[in-house]
Amino acid sequence: MSSPDTALPAEAAKPARKPLLPRDWRGQVAMTTVLVLGAVVMLVPFLWMVATSLSRKANSSMPRTPSLWPPDPSFFNYWVATANLPIIRLYLNSLLVVGVTTIGYLAFSAIAGYAFAKGRFPGKTALFIVFLATLFIPFETRMIPLYLFVRDLHLNNTYWALILPFLAGGFGTFLMRQTIATIPDDLIDAARIDGASEFRIFVSIVLPLCKPTLATLAIINVIWRWNDVLWPLLVTSSRDMYTVTQGLALAGKSSGVYTGVALATAVMAILPVIVAYLFLQRYVIRSVISSGVKG
Amino acid sequence: MHMESGSKSSPVDPGSVRSRLARAFRGTLVWYSFLALPLFLIMVFVAYPTAIAFRDSVFTETPAGPEFAGLYHFRRLLTNSIFWGALGNTVLLGVAFLGITIPLATILASMLNRLRRGSTPLKVIYFLPQLTSSVAVAIMFNYVFQPDWGLLNGTLRTLGVEQLPLWLSDPRLSLGGSRAAVTLLAVWAGLGYFIIIILAGLQSIPTDLYDAAAIDGASPVQAWRYVTLPSLRPTFIFLIITGSIDALSRFGDLWTLGGPGGAPARSLQSVVMFMFQQGFESNDYSLAAATAVVFFLIVLAVTLFAFRGFLRNEFRAIR
Repeated sequence: MSSPDTALPAEAAKPARKPLLPRDWRGQVAMTTVLVLGAVVMLVPFLWMVATSLSRKANSSMPRTPSLWPPDPSFFNYWVATANLPIIRLYLNSLLVVGVTTIGYLAFSAIAGYAFAKGRFPGKTALFIVFLATLFIPFETRMIPLYLFVRDLHLNNTYWALILPFLAGGFGTFLMRQTIATIPDDLIDAARIDGASEFRIFVSIVLPLCKPTLATLAIINVIWRWNDVLWPLLVTSSRDMYTVTQGLALAGKSSGVYTGVALATAVMAILPVIVAYLFLQRYVIRSVISSGVKG
Repeated sequence: MHMESGSKSSPVDPGSVRSRLARAFRGTLVWYSFLALPLFLIMVFVAYPTAIAFRDSVFTETPAGPEFAGLYHFRRLLTNSIFWGALGNTVLLGVAFLGITIPLATILASMLNRLRRGSTPLKVIYFLPQLTSSVAVAIMFNYVFQPDWGLLNGTLRTLGVEQLPLWLSDPRLSLGGSRAAVTLLAVWAGLGYFIIIILAGLQSIPTDLYDAAAIDGASPVQAWRYVTLPSLRPTFIFLIITGSIDALSRFGDLWTLGGPGGAPARSLQSVVMFMFQQGFESNDYSLAAATAVVFFLIVLAVTLFAFRGFLRNEFRAIR
């Protein structure tokens, strides 16, 4: 191909080359216009929020015509917001709670999923129904008894209250069982013949083959736990135990009249999530598609 | 050979049977040990509180201890106009949200699917609000809907609109009232998820169907109407079901905007907020438990209806 003699066929192929504009360029331009306008509608509230959070005057008077640029750019609102709320502490709380629940959720989902996919033991169907049934119990149904139970155990205002109820769940177990069921039995039997224990097989054969599902589950769980507000509101009342989303909910209510401060708090709460999303967007969107579950 | 070893050669060897049994037992035990901790957690934190919710709904707390009340609390709940108001709000907001979001997302996803360039950044932007907690979205939109200087009314005024809606300050059931505002908020926040799921549905439609339609002389619009939309049926059903369940459990954004009472004038109170208020403000755990049970039954009905085929396959697979 690269030798000079082949210049002729390349020449001959020239007329078949794509025209500069696709045939349906009008349609493409129209669709792009509509879609870009839609994207602007999605983005403008964010930009307006950031601009307003950077304006000190926003706390007393707002311009009658919305502006995407602060008239008096300053970080004043951010200083006030961090003075009102121990935001670093809140971040550490959220990271700890989200991190531990995600690791636990993945581990328990995977090992239970392995037992249901490849195990042979009496009562398997009945136990699987128990796990599957939890999919049909909305959190809100058990919210109040769970709160009273946690309170009676004196776990209020502890990390345990934020972590323990979310370590195991039917959804993760179900998703892992589906994935592990597709691993050929021969692979596992071969390891058994070599004398590997079930746990060893689980760790060194099953888990590596489930990486994509584990990543999906991790992303979904991080979004769930990071954004959860109902449960943290119930079990933690001390400011040092707030999660980021909870702190935002309470600060947004109490500083509601100070527009700039409330929006600065909101920016601080969502910025890291957005930055992480921009880096991981491919995986996030793929996870949402493959599990059908949203954040 | 020896007596003991002689027994080994007999056809039914009790020793080897015992060791086989022991091995089989150990083989079973290992699976139970895998399930023990997750099962324990599910029993303690899911099954037990659910059972308590059901129990509390038929008991009344008295100083002398719980007293069986039968269906008394359910009668109380079903004659409570605030509960019906909250249920009505929840259903109305859910229907409005799905009625707007599904057609809009279908159109946008179809366009994204046909776009030659730039669909990835657009997808990323449309999905962005989904990653933002409902609380942050609510705080943002509290100001977006501010009647005097909010982003929406300020823009409308610049465009020359004179009769500006009051949005969140107007509890009436109107297109410029609080319910319309939170529906716009929900559409803005949820659109990306619907687009992504419909886009995945679009991409799974076999191209032969379009080739066949083209051979039959169908225009692109006809192909969309007679090939695309029918092929998306399972996707729509999935989205309606998950969307209904999410709409029924709506809490975070409405709570942030209107408190547990769903201000203004309870126009934004959802069922979960009603439950929250009964349980934690009125300390009427029995009424809250009855609400929880009714909520559970509604969600269960929706889920079972949707997943009846799926569940049948699932139980067949596990056996």
